[in-house]
Amino acid sequence: MSLRKFAAGPLCALPIGLFLLIGFAAPLLAVIGFSFMPPRTFGLFLNPTLVNYIEIVDSTSYISFLWSLALAAVTVAILAVICYPVAYGMARIFGKWSMLVTLLFTIPLFVSENVRLYGWVLFFIKNGVLLGTLKSVFGIEADSWLFTTGIILWGMVYVYLPFMLFPMTLGVAMVPDQIREAALDLGATRWQVFREVELPLSMPGIMIGFLLSFVLAVGAITEAKVLGGQRVIPIIHDIEIAFTYAQNWPLGAALAVLLMLVVGFLVLLVLRRFDLDAILGRR
Amino acid sequence: MSDESTTGRKSILQLRQLTKSFGNFTAVDRVDLDIAEGEFFTIVGPSGSGKTTLLRMLTGMETPSSGDILLHGERINDLPANRRPTCMVFQSLALFPHRTVGQNIEFPLKIRGVDAASRKKRALQLLEQLRLPETYYSKNVTKCSGGERQRVALARALAYNPEILFFDEPLSAIDYKLRKTLEKELKDIHRETGKTFIYITHSLEEAMVMSDRIGVMRAGHLVQVGTPNEIYTAPRSKFVSEFIGDVNVIAVQTQADGQLHAAEFGTSFVPPRLPNGFTSGHLVVRPEFLRFLDRPDSAINCLEGRLYNEYALGSRIQYQVRVGEHVFIVEKLRQQAFGGQRDDAVLIGWDAKDSILVAE
Amino acid sequence: MPGSSAQRWRHALVVVWTCAIVIFMYLPALCLLLASLTSSRYFIFPITRWGVDWWHKTFDSIEIRQLFETSILIALCVTAVSVVIAFFGALAFARYNWRGRSIYQKIVLLPIFFPQSVLGLALLLWFNALGLELSWRTGVLAHLVWIVPVATLVISIQVYSFDPALEEAAFDLGATRWQVFREVTLPVLFPGIFSGALFSFLLSWGNFPLSLFTTGADNTIPKYLYAKMVAGYTPGVPVLGTVSTFGAALLLLIGYAVILVLRRRHSDAVTEE
Repeated sequence: MSLRKFAAGPLCALPIGLFLLIGFAAPLLAVIGFSFMPPRTFGLFLNPTLVNYIEIVDSTSYISFLWSLALAAVTVAILAVICYPVAYGMARIFGKWSMLVTLLFTIPLFVSENVRLYGWVLFFIKNGVLLGTLKSVFGIEADSWLFTTGIILWGMVYVYLPFMLFPMTLGVAMVPDQIREAALDLGATRWQVFREVELPLSMPGIMIGFLLSFVLAVGAITEAKVLGGQRVIPIIHDIEIAFTYAQNWPLGAALAVLLMLVVGFLVLLVLRRFDLDAILGRR
Repeated sequence: MSDESTTGRKSILQLRQLTKSFGNFTAVDRVDLDIAEGEFFTIVGPSGSGKTTLLRMLTGMETPSSGDILLHGERINDLPANRRPTCMVFQSLALFPHRTVGQNIEFPLKIRGVDAASRKKRALQLLEQLRLPETYYSKNVTKCSGGERQRVALARALAYNPEILFFDEPLSAIDYKLRKTLEKELKDIHRETGKTFIYITHSLEEAMVMSDRIGVMRAGHLVQVGTPNEIYTAPRSKFVSEFIGDVNVIAVQTQADGQLHAAEFGTSFVPPRLPNGFTSGHLVVRPEFLRFLDRPDSAINCLEGRLYNEYALGSRIQYQVRVGEHVFIVEKLRQQAFGGQRDDAVLIGWDAKDSILVAE
Repeated sequence: MPGSSAQRWRHALVVVWTCAIVIFMYLPALCLLLASLTSSRYFIFPITRWGVDWWHKTFDSIEIRQLFETSILIALCVTAVSVVIAFFGALAFARYNWRGRSIYQKIVLLPIFFPQSVLGLALLLWFNALGLELSWRTGVLAHLVWIVPVATLVISIQVYSFDPALEEAAFDLGATRWQVFREVTLPVLFPGIFSGALFSFLLSWGNFPLSLFTTGADNTIPKYLYAKMVAGYTPGVPVLGTVSTFGAALLLLIGYAVILVLRRRHSDAVTEE
């Protein structure tokens, strides 16, 4: 029995491990492979070349790349400020109500982002809910905010909010009450308790929230298409064009590899530092 | 309340009709108490007796519903915890896990803006005072043993230089032997620092070892305050007498001849000095004052029973004697062990002066 | 909670802020609902001609019915497969202590910490390279790559609170390995498994970026809506959007109620003893 018990862990990990090998690792390897193939070819076993990467350096794709990174970074910063009070409330104040609040923030996750973003289109569009109300009630005529960079950011904050909120809540809940009280008792002001105790102790959850929302936001495309009217071209758009209309898989693959490098670097940097058992296991 | 032991010393903390209610539930009910400067005062009570709520009001983590807390005669009800010159050692110790031992101890100094060099000097002093090696200064606090963590928590509280130190059962999770050592150490620290210590525990035994005075709480009320000796020898109620440990309690009422009638045994006992106006209550006899008798007249009060079982308690041996349905506990030093066998018929008895009469 | 007035103020502010954010989360759904209830061809607010004409039109369409069937079919397949893989994955994640568990935990998380649109495109490439024809079946595979790790996490949270001594006690009382699994492990972990299934179904139902690139000619509701949105306004979009929003909310609430009932029955049974 001891032998079987020893093997139980790896055995249970086997199905998911195999599945992720075929469904996750292999496609990513394929993308990496394609990125070294000659432009506009569709085979994986031709002579490798760096042409695609050189083409990216010469093209304007880096602008899309920077836009995606910048938008994602600003989104994360805004989300951090918006979510902290809510996470604090869910972990410390709402008590039995926090279950309901969790539920309320979960439901939107199950509706596709394009549908939800379309709701914002109806809100912000000329003669929509906002401008229509302003006009009919207050007699104010204003220009629609749609198709601006600001509204893209608005959409991204909206879509990725739960991904910041939930890890952050886990993090805030990791700070024991007595530790906060002890700091207060030792003379710390509210602000000092926050800076010296609450923030560092909830950091694992907060960092995971940052990481998750940043990584997902870098891959944002629907926000720009539905709300932004292509005002800003995110990197995913370039990749999609290369894969579909342009039929240049190797170029698309090379762009995807660059994006994966950024994402992979961040994920490894953050995940390496934290003990997931401590974050998830506490109840 | 008993004021004998506080005479000659200035009160530092006074509670006046202090009350805390949560909805319909009154956790602490009109408590009056004076604590003298430099005193080691322990509040004892079973869980749910309101002692933790009382302590949380004293530290400023809970606001009283009514009544006053006076520090040096000034009302501090609304002063928040971080502005009170008092400090608490928590049950969980609440050490900051992301900080080293040294950083934990220095925390209150850092908060006050003390410079790094003086902070370190003070931290090292405290480490020495608490018998922790200097190398612990940079040790990860989560890697310390239970006893070491206790000392770090105490050092951190002392670094705050509070006028009063509060303790919320910090020793409850520690095994017996270490607890005994730490109890004595704490009393030594109290002597060395001369600060006022207010300690909370559910163990009267622990309170006895350390305290100058003890307050016993029950259902939100402070039912008796006194020195350990007073609490032990002159409990005012059945509750207090039973709280110390195994005692024999007999329900009694006065009868015409001045003796006490015990309905349960259909007999009467000679009482100790009868308090004024006493009509009914309980007669308390501690197990060590109960004796096995050769003849019924070797003690003034006597009962016949059956030896049921015996328990070895280290230096003492405890016997369970059953008189009808009533269980009596008799305790003897090991050298004076009783030779009887199980189920032997035995005589047990006590002298009137060895019993205590309580009204409740 | 201490009741100082500063603290009460802070708490009140947090409550107000949270309410504001909840409204922010649901404002788009409200707009969709409003837009679906007009009988005119265009959306002009305030609505002058209310009506449910577009609801009738949408539900009478065979194409729409087809969409529902495909979406539900994919979600059901995803749920069935993901629960099984994720259940064992969660045991390896949180129940057993084994060498490599810490690395394993991080590998399982990787697909979640990955932009879905990139994942969709990578899978598109991969399916093409393998010569698989894109259809709802490849869509199921694509969904699984993302949903299996999520379900593993959801079930793991329940597994963390599972006391391994229960299994050992059952062994000790003479149960076989299979009996232990059936009588102890499975029933105790059931709420977690149920949540995992619910999440799998709903996440598949609402997925857009993976479906967009991997389902080929088979349309799911989010994918169809996207095509309609880009093409120009039709009130059918708000109708379907409202349906998919309220459908998800309803299913989640029912699922949540089931979990509450299960828990209550469990605790009642325990207190009766």
